[in-house]
Amino acid sequence: MKLWIFNCQQVSRLVSKSMDRKLPLIQKMGIRFHLMMCRLCSNYRRQLIFMRRLLQISRQHEDTSKSDLHLPLNARERIQKELTSLK
Amino acid sequence: MGVKKPKTQHQLHDPATWVERYGDYLYTYALRRIFEASLAEEIVQETFVAALKARTRFEGRASEKTWLTGILKHKLIDQLRRQQRDTVLSSPETDNRPKDTLFDAGGKWRTKPRKWNADPQKLYEQKAFMETVFQCMAGIPKRMSQAFALRELEGATTAEICNVFNISTANCWVILHRARGLMRNCLEKNWFGNKK
Repeated sequence: MKLWIFNCQQVSRLVSKSMDRKLPLIQKMGIRFHLMMCRLCSNYRRQLIFMRRLLQISRQHEDTSKSDLHLPLNARERIQKELTSLK
Repeated sequence: MGVKKPKTQHQLHDPATWVERYGDYLYTYALRRIFEASLAEEIVQETFVAALKARTRFEGRASEKTWLTGILKHKLIDQLRRQQRDTVLSSPETDNRPKDTLFDAGGKWRTKPRKWNADPQKLYEQKAFMETVFQCMAGIPKRMSQAFALRELEGATTAEICNVFNISTANCWVILHRARGLMRNCLEKNWFGNKK
C-alpha cells in the first residue's frame, strides 16, 4: 500500500482539518507517517490541541467565572429603560 | 437569597434585576464570540427584550442564566448572519493574497514551532494568559475569529458554521486553519516566545 507523502504545509492544513472533520484513513496514515519524522509539525499539532483544550476549559467555566469586561453604563441604562417601558 | 428550590424547578427573578445580575456576563459572552462591542451590546439588549416577552413560557427546567444564555445564542447567530460579507470570506482559490503566513514558497516552516510545554488547566488559571488569548482572538480578522469562536467555544459543526456565514465547507476549513495558524503565532509571539 502506497502511503501519501505530505510536506509540512499540507500536514499543517490536514491536522487543522482533522479537528473539524473525520479524514479518510489514507490521509490519517499519511499525517501520522509525517508526524513520526517531523518534530515541528508534531509541535504544531500539539499546539492546536492545546488551544482547543484551553478554550473548552474556558467555556466550561464561563457561567461561573467573573469577567473583567463590563456592559458599558450607557448600554445598561438604555436597556434598563427599554425593559421598564415594555413591562 | 430565598428558599432552596428543588432541582427541577427554577424560577425567574424580577426582570428589573436582570441587567444588574446578568448584564456583564451576557455582554462578555457575546463579545467573546462576535468581537465587536456595539454588536455585543445590541445582542444583550435583544436578549433581554426577547426574554421579557417570553418569560411566561419559561418552564423552569434550566436555570434563569442558562435560559438567558440560550436566547443570547440565537441573537448572536442572527447578528453573525446579518454581517456584511467582506474580503476575508472570499474564495481562497481566487484571492491573490499570499496563501500562507506559516510557510515559505518551498513549503517549509517560516517560524519553526517550538515546544510550548503548556498545561491548559494551569494556564487557564493565569489571568494574564487568558487576557492574551482573548486579545489574540480580537486581533485576527473578525470573521476568522468569529468562526473560530463558534467552533471552539460553541462546538458548532463545520456545517453549522457554513450555514451562518453562507460559505462552502472547503472555505470554512481554510478559515479555521488560518485562524488557528494566526492564533498560534500570536500566542507564540506574545507569551510562549518570551518565556526563554
